[in-house]
Amino acid sequence: MSTIIEFKNVDKIYKTGDHILKAMDNVNFTIEEGEFVVILGPSGAGKSTLLNLLGGLDTVTSGQIIVNGHHVEEFNDNELTSYRAGNVGFIFQFYNLIPNLTAIENVELMKDIVDVDIDGLKVLDSVGLKSHANQFPAQLSGGEQQRVSIARAVAKQPTMLLCDEPTGALDSKTGVLILNLLQDMSNNKGTTVVIVTHNAILAEAADKVIRIKNGQIESIVINESPKKVADLEW
Amino acid sequence: MSLFKKMLRDIKINRTQFIAIFLMAFIGIFAYTGIYSEYYGLVQTSDGFYADTNMADAWVYNTDFDDASVEKVNEFTTQSDRQEVIESQADLENKPDVTLHFIEKGTISKFYTTEGKDFNPDDSSGVWLDARFADARDLKVGDKISFEFDNQTVTKEIRGLGYSPEYIYEVSPNSLTPDFYEMGFAYLSSKSYPQDLKYNTLLVKYNSSDADFKDKLSSIDYLSVTKKEDQLSVSKFSDEMAQHKMIGNVFPIVFILVTFLTLLTTMTRIVTHQRTQIGILKAVGFKDKVIIMHYLAYAFFPVLAGSILGLITGPMIIPQMFYPSMMRSYSMPSWHPGFDMSFIYIAVLMVALSVLVTYFSCRRISRENPANTLRPKAPHTSSKTFIEKSRLWNRLNFNIRWNLRDASRNNFRALMVIIGVMGCVALLIAAFGMNDSMDELKSWEYDDITHYESKLLLSKEANPMELYYILNETNGSFIMQQSIEMKANDVEDTVSLLVSNNTDLISYTDSNRNSIEIEEGDVSISTKLAKKFNLTIGDKIRWHIVGEDKWVASKIGQVHAEPISQGLIMSPDTLEDQGLNFTPTNIITDEKFGENFDSIKSTTSTEKMEKSWDQMTSAVMMMVSVVTFVAVALAILVIYNLEILSFTEMEREIATLKVLGFKTKILRKLLLTQNVFFTAIGFILGIPLGFYFMTLMMNAAGDSIYYVPTLTWGNILLSAVITFTISIGVNLLFSDKINDLNMVEALKDVE
Repeated sequence: MSTIIEFKNVDKIYKTGDHILKAMDNVNFTIEEGEFVVILGPSGAGKSTLLNLLGGLDTVTSGQIIVNGHHVEEFNDNELTSYRAGNVGFIFQFYNLIPNLTAIENVELMKDIVDVDIDGLKVLDSVGLKSHANQFPAQLSGGEQQRVSIARAVAKQPTMLLCDEPTGALDSKTGVLILNLLQDMSNNKGTTVVIVTHNAILAEAADKVIRIKNGQIESIVINESPKKVADLEW
Repeated sequence: MSLFKKMLRDIKINRTQFIAIFLMAFIGIFAYTGIYSEYYGLVQTSDGFYADTNMADAWVYNTDFDDASVEKVNEFTTQSDRQEVIESQADLENKPDVTLHFIEKGTISKFYTTEGKDFNPDDSSGVWLDARFADARDLKVGDKISFEFDNQTVTKEIRGLGYSPEYIYEVSPNSLTPDFYEMGFAYLSSKSYPQDLKYNTLLVKYNSSDADFKDKLSSIDYLSVTKKEDQLSVSKFSDEMAQHKMIGNVFPIVFILVTFLTLLTTMTRIVTHQRTQIGILKAVGFKDKVIIMHYLAYAFFPVLAGSILGLITGPMIIPQMFYPSMMRSYSMPSWHPGFDMSFIYIAVLMVALSVLVTYFSCRRISRENPANTLRPKAPHTSSKTFIEKSRLWNRLNFNIRWNLRDASRNNFRALMVIIGVMGCVALLIAAFGMNDSMDELKSWEYDDITHYESKLLLSKEANPMELYYILNETNGSFIMQQSIEMKANDVEDTVSLLVSNNTDLISYTDSNRNSIEIEEGDVSISTKLAKKFNLTIGDKIRWHIVGEDKWVASKIGQVHAEPISQGLIMSPDTLEDQGLNFTPTNIITDEKFGENFDSIKSTTSTEKMEKSWDQMTSAVMMMVSVVTFVAVALAILVIYNLEILSFTEMEREIATLKVLGFKTKILRKLLLTQNVFFTAIGFILGIPLGFYFMTLMMNAAGDSIYYVPTLTWGNILLSAVITFTISIGVNLLFSDKINDLNMVEALKDVE
């Protein structure tokens, strides 16, 4: 396994008026290709900021983010867009599907961005939603919407899946189903998966657990024998 | 492709808003192009008609133009043509007046044939007749018709029917509007004149300036000269056009501005509303360009569709609403809606501006970093207003505090609602005010000034004995009405002259419509003319009766006010002091008069005059109704649109309040308070603006119209009823939604 993601001395400072907030404070870590990484921390610790920086949704104040040998922090807006389009699949807590497009259309929307032939039905089938292909997000349950969102993210075959509290809005049973799917992407398809959560139990299933607090790394633990998500005690 | 589907579905779901956008673009362009198309139609058709017929630049009058003087005139003109113009009676029922033109060459002010043969100056047995007169009298090509004049009769065969550029407007002295049954004109060859033809009119075309031409004209003998723009038909028609233009200058521009404003606000809001969706599209890797293009389409298609529909239907429908009433008063061979490139420009501008404002609001969002865009926009932070800081604040009830705060945090939205309402109120006030003003003019003239029942037009060869008999029988009074040419302070104009004793049958009025007496010795001038000529009491003027060449000087002793004609009033004694003869043209009486006398040419009643006034003003009144209709439609759309925006913006907040336990009734009141408050501000500001529009339009109502625009409580009340009904109605519509408001949905996080 080779290192695919590297954070070097990353700082992120938010300024609103004369209020200064240090959301990332000298953050350093690496992630290997195909790893299933869980980032843990209490609310406001900077988890989402970390994910946004990694996914190219936000830019660092200082430091370096190296993905696949490219310096993300040096990208301009256009390059960031191409970076997101080509490398990153996002999964959000609130699914963030386009409400006026059906499940399959939300997935096939990706055709407009990447040069990959996408068979929406096949991708939906892989998340077990073939039968719901023509339903609108509002007609689907939360878990189903999140699965569509995963299908949308994996359809473009990204280097990594970035998940911000993917089960935050779901009941535990549905949550397990989603996490299972994500672990499967990592273990069997070799996709790097980074999950941000405040649910500590998930740590046992991760290859690597990064704990952060107040914008700083508290600990990085490598799990030699991660459990299956399905075997976790919820 | 998927994005296109998204757009279609977005539009479908928000269809009321998009339909409103479409309708606004449509109404704005429809009214703008329609009203202008009517005006340009008049200009283009009349200009075309003048050009086609080679309309004269001036008419020179004399008793007889001989060849020598024509030769002289040809030295400083480009073209000339002689005519004998003579009044005749056609040998038909009621002896209608037909003006005969015996033409030498037929090269200037040509007869425009619509039926039959073209005019032929060598055809001595034919006549070319006024098509409107022929229509009223049911005369056809090939019919024979006789005319009597100077104790002789000529009988000719009708060769053609048609129009003349000199008779777009033709009226008898007794009426404001034409009665084609009673009057007409005919063109004949000079060869068909029975004997001793004397050309009394010389038509000319020239390239030099008017002053230059008049200067050179002094080398020949002539009685008077009339320039094209002073000719009755031409000036009357251009007055009419000027009035249409002025209405066209004010209203369509306000329509367009109000439309722009609301359109732009709406587009900004729609894009702002899609903020998180823009964030998603950005997060998954869509390029800014693609996202912006996607949202531009939201503005582009509805506005384009509305503009195109307006551009097509406006010029098709609006002019056709005016032309029938115009046709009753004016005669032209054809009436076509006009076209101007500005129609295209304004439509393009409308589409371009909508797209542009969408572009800017979209770019503003897409410029933010996507992590931010995914979150709902943080509410405005604003420092506390002075009211919030004051002690008073804590004493105010929740409703007022909430609304004050909401308005100060969303001042852009507040401003848009106020401006939108203001524009609509201004339009309504102006439209109703115009309507009132026209009614007031009519009641001033026919209730306050005119007290007679009948007005008898005397024939030129009236028998004085008979006249005095009639005068006694009817208890009437002689008056003399003439056109005069007046000069003072280097201004020159043709105005009207009324010579009459003080009588109970006519009241003279001041500007406040109080009756005044005309004093002996000096002349009284109407307020509007005094202003135009810059004259005050004591100033001297020079004038002469049109058709006579004796100039006299008079002193202004008085100023009176007249609503529908402008000129001088004096007593018969004053007139005779000037060395002119008092030759009555009419008898006025408060009795109904139906008898036939040779000395009486025709009789008209006040009722008839009021009718012809109505007919004359029908085009303007039509304009007023169109404006009122569009103003109301626009008011509904604008208020509806702005409120739908306020409501969707406040939805979360309202839901929160509802969750907290506020009763629907209180929430309704909350919304209503804000709405009524903004509407009231817009309303109050709209009144002076509307009054200003009204003044602009009344000033353009024509040289002969004098009226001081007034703002009546009735109109203010009517506008208030309309505005507040719409506003409160729309509001109730929305507050019904409070009941249906799904608290959970509304409070859920993004999407």
